[in-house]
Amino acid sequence: MLYRRLLPPLAALLAAGVGLAVGGDALPFSRILQALTNPHAHDVAHTILWQLRMPRVLCAALVGSALALAGVQLQGMLRNPLVDPYLIGTSAGAAVAIAFALAFGIALSVLPAIGFLGGLGASLLVAALARRGGGIDATRLILAGVAISALLAASVALLSVLARSISFQLTLQAWLIGSLAGRGWNDLRFALPYAVVGAVVAIGNIRSLDALRIGDVRARGIGLDIERAQWSILGSATLLTAAAVSLAGMVGFVGLIVPHLARRVVGSDARALLPASAFLGAAMAIAADAIARSVIAPRELPLGIVLAFAGIPIFIIIYLRREHRR
Amino acid sequence: MIRARGVSLERGGRRVLDGIEFELRPSEFVALLGPNGVGKTTLLRACAGFDTPATGTIELDGTPVHRLAVAQRARHIAMLSSDELLADELRVRDVVAIGRFPHRPWWRFSESDADERAIEAAVAATHIEAYLDRIFTHLSSGEQQRVWIAMALAQGAPSLLLDEPTTHLDVRVAHNVLGLLRERTQNGTSVLCVLHDINEAAAVADRILLLGCGRMLALAPPAEVLASPLLDEAYGIAMHRARTEDGRTIVVPAHT
Repeated sequence: MLYRRLLPPLAALLAAGVGLAVGGDALPFSRILQALTNPHAHDVAHTILWQLRMPRVLCAALVGSALALAGVQLQGMLRNPLVDPYLIGTSAGAAVAIAFALAFGIALSVLPAIGFLGGLGASLLVAALARRGGGIDATRLILAGVAISALLAASVALLSVLARSISFQLTLQAWLIGSLAGRGWNDLRFALPYAVVGAVVAIGNIRSLDALRIGDVRARGIGLDIERAQWSILGSATLLTAAAVSLAGMVGFVGLIVPHLARRVVGSDARALLPASAFLGAAMAIAADAIARSVIAPRELPLGIVLAFAGIPIFIIIYLRREHRR
Repeated sequence: MIRARGVSLERGGRRVLDGIEFELRPSEFVALLGPNGVGKTTLLRACAGFDTPATGTIELDGTPVHRLAVAQRARHIAMLSSDELLADELRVRDVVAIGRFPHRPWWRFSESDADERAIEAAVAATHIEAYLDRIFTHLSSGEQQRVWIAMALAQGAPSLLLDEPTTHLDVRVAHNVLGLLRERTQNGTSVLCVLHDINEAAAVADRILLLGCGRMLALAPPAEVLASPLLDEAYGIAMHRARTEDGRTIVVPAHT
């Protein structure tokens, strides 16, 4: 069992190595190693590695692990394997905020912050609609999330139709598909604190997530404060998702698929499942971003498209195999 | 000790029970009987502090249970509900270990020595050693019920509240499960247990709390409750009484 728990961090490490090694410019392995071991040198390889690839790999790691951690917590709380972090309205809220910002010609550099705030706002609205008594009603949460997301998506489509500018549509499209093109240290610096807070809260949620596995009423019987646990899980998932969306736009499938893969590898004990999800999410996003950067270099594929082409078949295979086993 | 005074209870905004007065003494087994929908589960939930009574109070050693912090309450009262399905693929030992939840601070992820001792004792008391490593959902209903009881025992609470622990169990397995609970009362644990089989309840309980017609009809030793016409009133059906060879009274519905 122990070796299985080591697989996800190893996968993330391997993906990071690949992510640093591949890109638009073919750099020999020796020069990459050289640049890695001399962080204060001043040559082209050094610049490519430290100013382009390293922040991209770290951004991808943050996006992948944040979405996976958000997804695994929401799936555990709602005991529904089909729940995605975008269900709680974060992505649609971010999309609307960014579409408005683009329409009003706000500088590209503040888009992540605007996306973050929009995502947070939409999630709070969904949570407010899903409230029942002191806690959250699972069905209402899903319905409110779907309804608010649909409304916000329609608003984005409307803005997109009204704005005739090509650059508006291209920038918006990149956000909607999900991409890490052009992301660097500054973007990472903005998103990291929120992701760290979300991850720390997630660690605090491990105990509740384990208790929730026996059902809400039984979990109350053994002393779980269900309401508090629900708000804490929702808060963590919102922060993590908003941080990811602010960096990469609407990258899909990681939050849905990775928890399933992680469960296959380490089982459903939350103490092992959460770290495994974070590492596998990072591995998947870093690998997909490496592919996105290199297949049609010097141009880039959007990360969201690569993840969809890789992610959907994996998801289908996992789900079909699961059905066969039953 | 759990004590209810002047308790009335509501369900979905409608008054279901009035005038509940009882105490659950240490080492006592009280069976909660009554027709479907009378409010047995509602009463049990209120005793566990899940819901607040409409009037009156339910106290644990003098403090209203719904005012206790959730974890503190769970260290004194273990509530085992019956109606949820388990979706997750948990190992049996993991289920039992979850019972240690109220004793574990959020920052500790591994089991303490006290946790391990409590889990081992609960496993031994419920005789589930043989299937500790199996997946919970692969067990039979009777085995699953034993595991739930082991989880509640691992919780280490002196009061055990159980909602229909013998439903879906055959007569022998039900007898074993109730025997197991009966054994627990010998070291000070008190048990309040919703049951449907009147004779089963009479065989195992020290007292029977009979609910019917929106109120508490009786709280008395089994022999008295079985002999009383209140039983017929509670269920709205005439009962025949008969004596077994070993001198116990049993009841069966009369033919009408």
